[in-house]
Amino acid sequence: MRTKEANVLYPEGRVRDPSAAAVAGKYWAIFRTQLLNSLAYPIDLLGRSLLIILFMWIFMNLWRVTYGATGARSIAGLTLADTMWYLMMAEAVMLSKRDLSETISEQVKDGSVAYLLNKPFNFILYHFAAGLGGSVLAFGGNLIIGTAVVWLMVGPPPGMTGWIFAGAAVALSWLLDFCFSALIGLSAFVVEETNAFRWIYQKFLLLLGGVLIPLDFFPAWLQTVSLNLPFAWIIYGPARLFVDPSLARLGRVFLQQGIWLAVVGGIVWFIYRRAAARLVINGG
Amino acid sequence: MNAISVRNLRKTFQTKRKAAGLRGSLRALWKPAFQDVEAVRGISFEMEAGELLGFIGPNGAGKSTTIKILTGILHPSSGEAAVLGYVPWQERQALAFQIGSVFGQRPQLWYHLPAVDTFYLFGKIYELDDGSLKRRISFLAEAFEIEELLETPVRKLSLGQRMRCEVAASLLHKPRVLLLDEPSIGLDVVAKQRLRMTIQRMNELEGVGVLLTSHDAGDIETLCRRVIIVNHGEIVYRDKVSALKRRYLTVKTVDVRYNEQLAPDFRLPGVEMLKVGRYGAKMRFDTRITPVEPVISGLAAAGSLADVTVSEPSLEDVISAIYARTEA
Repeated sequence: MRTKEANVLYPEGRVRDPSAAAVAGKYWAIFRTQLLNSLAYPIDLLGRSLLIILFMWIFMNLWRVTYGATGARSIAGLTLADTMWYLMMAEAVMLSKRDLSETISEQVKDGSVAYLLNKPFNFILYHFAAGLGGSVLAFGGNLIIGTAVVWLMVGPPPGMTGWIFAGAAVALSWLLDFCFSALIGLSAFVVEETNAFRWIYQKFLLLLGGVLIPLDFFPAWLQTVSLNLPFAWIIYGPARLFVDPSLARLGRVFLQQGIWLAVVGGIVWFIYRRAAARLVINGG
Repeated sequence: MNAISVRNLRKTFQTKRKAAGLRGSLRALWKPAFQDVEAVRGISFEMEAGELLGFIGPNGAGKSTTIKILTGILHPSSGEAAVLGYVPWQERQALAFQIGSVFGQRPQLWYHLPAVDTFYLFGKIYELDDGSLKRRISFLAEAFEIEELLETPVRKLSLGQRMRCEVAASLLHKPRVLLLDEPSIGLDVVAKQRLRMTIQRMNELEGVGVLLTSHDAGDIETLCRRVIIVNHGEIVYRDKVSALKRRYLTVKTVDVRYNEQLAPDFRLPGVEMLKVGRYGAKMRFDTRITPVEPVISGLAAAGSLADVTVSEPSLEDVISAIYARTEA
């Protein structure tokens, strides 16, 4: 029954050329289409970015009182301005990451995963490219508005190096966050309902990831625990790098992100292979 | 070469079972019970290259499961299948370049973007170079009469317009087999006709084979030469559409009107009288039991005829009769 052709003929008789460029091109196109999709509703995009103003205003009031009460110019090496710029970057990342776990688990639950699987791309990479397309604009919007607000509150932002280092680390943050999202989303193949996992992951990010508080302010033991967990390297890593852009710190952030990406990414890949092999589609 | 060949395909799902109420829920937690559901039970069929084949059956008959196995999304429990020479579940990605699919209830076009954006995305996904893609888009835009629609956001298109764009998108990479699952669902009569014509034209122009699933007997009647009917995971009928009609359209309904009053006890042997009025009657008979000739002469003998109409059941009636017969 197997009479597979060696070459795959294309329109106008072209032979298919599965070059690396063509493969990269398809994920780039997915990224770009999602970008266009986000731009279809500019007001909505702007509205989401305005949320950062509220958060920054709350943080400013909270930390001004805290710094005032201790009377210190800096706490754990961070001035009030450092803390505010840290929190701006942390919130910009947190508010721009797309919750792909929900998308994936919905697709698994209602069976629409089937309609993505019959196209010639990798399901996981498709979601990553699409998620990135959704995040980039939101992140840009958050940064612009967040920077304007925090600048008014505490003065100018850190120098250019901080922006570049943080930018590079944020790219890996999205990738790492995506791996967790994919893991939660794919677990729908087994447990069907994934809200509990999603809730727990969000809370870990908020508390141990450094979204609400720079991890430097934690007691030593809790700091050790947090820094040895992956959540810190999604939020704390890039945000701290933003206000303290040293090469040593950059190296450490990249190393930790790399290790966790290998671990969590490996698990995702393994689970995806297993899940795809024994796929049961709802509503079959 | 056959475009699709399927031999003894089976798929069994395991579904959880739970008795009603709190007690049932608790017991299911403690000791989950599973039940095997046989969605596909030994299906075998062949589809020739370039053929338009109807694949129909009631809800839950196993149609979608079969189609999902043929696209490589589902692994069968046992049996063999080859689509264009590929074993779908082993070579899903390679096969994906050769087949297209449209699922009427699952749009693939990006809802907020104009269709042309999705066309360009699909072009990249199917690794077409820019020149071929542009030529292909303008060819399909003309064939499907969607030139004017391509730059309108999909959400602003009517269902009929959208479905033409959906089918065009599925043909961008010039597939050799197209799987159409309920393409005409929700369309009005005119939109249905237009969609059928375009599918037929693409089949003639490019020789794309079409496996068509539909609840609309009209789709099957106008498009397909051959039909396979499945029920309860098994094939219950396979033949030419014309044979289906010939074989099952043996029940005739006769409406007759006279110029004069009928006898109140008007009857014909071997004919079931549905309604007898003063000047006319409605009746039904099966040509396999009662030949046509005595019925017609009986009608003529009963008085001076004003009008006679003989009608056959629709294909839809025939199909539901087949479903009903296989329910037993």
